[in-house]
Amino acid sequence: MKAGPEDGELVAMTLQGNSEAFATLVERYDRAVYHLSYRMLHNVEDARDATQEAFFKAFRSLRTFRAGAKFSTWIFAIAYHACCDRLARRKHDASDELPDRADPARGPEQEAIALDEASRLRRAIDSLPEKYRAVVTLFHLQGRQYEEIATVLGLPMGTVKTHLFRAKEQLRRLLDGMEVTES
Amino acid sequence: MTMHDADRPLDALDRAILGLALEEPPSGLRASILLATAYRPAPLFSFWELSLLGALGAVAVWFAALLILGGGALFVHTVTTIASVATSALSNGATLAWLAAGGATAVWLSLFTVSQPVAHASHRSGPRNVP
Repeated sequence: MKAGPEDGELVAMTLQGNSEAFATLVERYDRAVYHLSYRMLHNVEDARDATQEAFFKAFRSLRTFRAGAKFSTWIFAIAYHACCDRLARRKHDASDELPDRADPARGPEQEAIALDEASRLRRAIDSLPEKYRAVVTLFHLQGRQYEEIATVLGLPMGTVKTHLFRAKEQLRRLLDGMEVTES
Repeated sequence: MTMHDADRPLDALDRAILGLALEEPPSGLRASILLATAYRPAPLFSFWELSLLGALGAVAVWFAALLILGGGALFVHTVTTIASVATSALSNGATLAWLAAGGATAVWLSLFTVSQPVAHASHRSGPRNVP
């Protein structure tokens, strides 16, 4: 449960000129939005830009936010679309697959650190195809609110469940493979 | 195992995914977001103030051009003509009535379009409204 006013109230307060209210929304969601952007883009700078762009667009379009909708779903959807635009631009520019580990902040010494369970899982998620990576990341952020995930991705709920099922199947295979490789 | 076993209780993989820590954002991200949105310095002039300043500037340039090109006589003649046209227009009842009607309409329209707060409806959202 969040302390303080609900997200909808904060949106209303922002529209009435209370800038602190929007600051509270940023504090609540900047980390989750960055997480989604980073998992989608695999690059610190791009994820940072996509996060900024998402909040900027949300702030500018706050009047179009539907009363009764969830702010988290709305901001995730904006961020997801910002990431998709960047991925499309990358594919257009490079016309090749995304690098497996494109994060410039990670040096070779960090690569050499033994993988614990969480980092193995993170690595396995990163190697999933884009559509499965998105659904697993949103499952991570929103839990089993499939309707909200479907809204963010603009997909039918059945497709979301199918993608999640297939993503988990792939994850299990990848994690088994990593165990074999590491031992 | 069926395709929709996502409806079943959480398994170990679900719990592992849900238990992952969120990525740590780069330092300064929140500050830069806030500076671009909520804490963005207010512009020196509003849109209407800028429009008014622009209009006044254009009139000043026009007067200056009159003075330079035509000398004092042309300037005085133009200003006198404008003043007499304005005086006759504003002393006309029909013109004043139309101005009042226009102003009242503008005020009435602004009541429906400016600073409308979000209502707290309980219904679910319809199709997504991503900007």
